[in-house]
Amino acid sequence: MTGVLDYSKGNSIFHNMNPVTKIIIALCICVAAFGADNLLFLAGIVALDLIIGIISGIKEKAFSIFKGFVKISVFLFVLQVLFVRSGNTVFLFVTDDGIILAAKIVLRLMGAALPLTYMLTVTKVSDLSNALVKVCHVPYKYAFTITTAVRFIPVFINELDAIIEAQTARGVEFDTKNAFARLKLILPLCVPLLMTSVKKADSSAVSAELRGFYLRKQSSGYKEYPFKAADILAIILFIAFAVFGILM
Amino acid sequence: MIEFKNVYFQYPHGGASLKNIDFKVEKGEFVALVGENGAGKSTMLKLINGILKPINGDVVTAGFNTKNTKISQIAKHTGFLFQNPDRQICCQSVKEEIMFSLNLLNDMTAEEKEERAEKIINAFSLNPDENTFAMSRGEKQKTALASALASEPEVLILDEPTTGLDYRECTAIMDFVKKLNKEKNITVFMVCHDMEIVMDYADRVIALAQGEMVDDDTPENIFRKKDVLKKAYLLPPQITELASLLGGEFENCDSAEEILEVLKKQRKGEL
Ligand SMILES: Nc1ncnc2c1ncn2[C@@H]1O[C@H](COP(=O)(O)OP(=O)(O)OP(=O)(O)O)[C@@H](O)[C@H]1O
Ligand SMILES: [Mg+2]
Repeated sequence: MTGVLDYSKGNSIFHNMNPVTKIIIALCICVAAFGADNLLFLAGIVALDLIIGIISGIKEKAFSIFKGFVKISVFLFVLQVLFVRSGNTVFLFVTDDGIILAAKIVLRLMGAALPLTYMLTVTKVSDLSNALVKVCHVPYKYAFTITTAVRFIPVFINELDAIIEAQTARGVEFDTKNAFARLKLILPLCVPLLMTSVKKADSSAVSAELRGFYLRKQSSGYKEYPFKAADILAIILFIAFAVFGILM
Repeated sequence: MIEFKNVYFQYPHGGASLKNIDFKVEKGEFVALVGENGAGKSTMLKLINGILKPINGDVVTAGFNTKNTKISQIAKHTGFLFQNPDRQICCQSVKEEIMFSLNLLNDMTAEEKEERAEKIINAFSLNPDENTFAMSRGEKQKTALASALASEPEVLILDEPTTGLDYRECTAIMDFVKKLNKEKNITVFMVCHDMEIVMDYADRVIALAQGEMVDDDTPENIFRKKDVLKKAYLLPPQITELASLLGGEFENCDSAEEILEVLKKQRKGEL
């Protein structure tokens, strides 16, 4: 079972980078996306994200994540367009200001969210937490919490799918075409989902403790995460990109 | 009741698959599906009630081709027990859980539903007010099974119904299922790793190995076929094994009583 956010094996330039470099790159792109105010530049960021996805050799996954965001974006776009009242009316109650503002918001959201999700698919979660501990000196407890939270998202989704499957098999009409009816059916399932998730988290905590979680120190990891020339070059490049974005 | 017509199935990302599955189960049969871990047993069960659709071939359950029928439609005729009861249980108390199942069917009056719930709770010796989320694995298994059985569906699909149950619970539940099977002519299709149970309760065994059917026969016969047992990694019930080892008169014995009978006869003959 491979969820969209699960690690994808590969040997691309991004796979081999230091995990911390990848975090910095993703953050730089986020900063650029939120700093920039130029529609074209924002579209360019989204294109850059997709190119990064292709270079990383996760083309299929990159586009399926992209498609997911497009769906959310359409919804957001319509909502925004409806609420902006200033500017010249284009048709009905839609204004030109509204369209531009909505487009910017949507592109910004995509530009910032895509690199974060792509980073997660090309980095092993264990590498991410170990590198945070080794390089950034984040206490292991916190690094572990962050990465576990990330790892729980696909588990959560799979669990919900399985619960829906089980309930459909009992005769709950999840296969109805009506989205609102389906939503109403999903809500009561949040109880078992929450219960199983809390239980899972609880047993994870117990088993981590049994395996000596609190004995772990910064020096416990055997893998080193040195910065290579490519890492430093990439960091400089993307910081410059972020600065450029803010100035735009 | 259940018909697989040359079915081929594969998960979108997975390499594992089901190939050339072809069989027919008549109304009232009690079939056990056996095979190693990962052979594709649970997958096959999900194909039966349409949660998964075959890539090639057809699956017909209770007269519906799963390819063009809604799962909830098929579900009205089938009861399904999943391998993991946690996902199935969604109500606070045992009673609510069973009523939830019954309420999904709309051809019963409120009193009838109450009566049904009462009956199954007694048969399974459950506590109707117990909190479902705090129950043990075995108790959950029982509750999930009870809510699947409560509606007395035409087809009962059970994925390892006896895991986590002690010997007494196990026989009590299997006896109940067998009774439904005999009295109401309910078709039972069960995955089971316990060959003793298969021997005692099933009328027919389908053995699966690496996604292919290796045999389809009565338990008495299948447990005597060395090649099938080897291919599907099955360990026959000890009595059957003993009987085949003893050979001769004992060859066809399937229980301790039968062996005893033969022994008695032999002794009388010798005296
Ligand atoms: N949703 C899924 N996506 C991809 N592959 C899957 C999925 N579910 C199961 N599989 C794979 O299909 C194969 C058969 O799984 P299945 O659950 O049918 O086995 P099983 O015979 O029920 O085993 P067990 O005795 O352990 O319950 C396994 O190799 C499993 O990894
Ligand atoms: Mg299984």
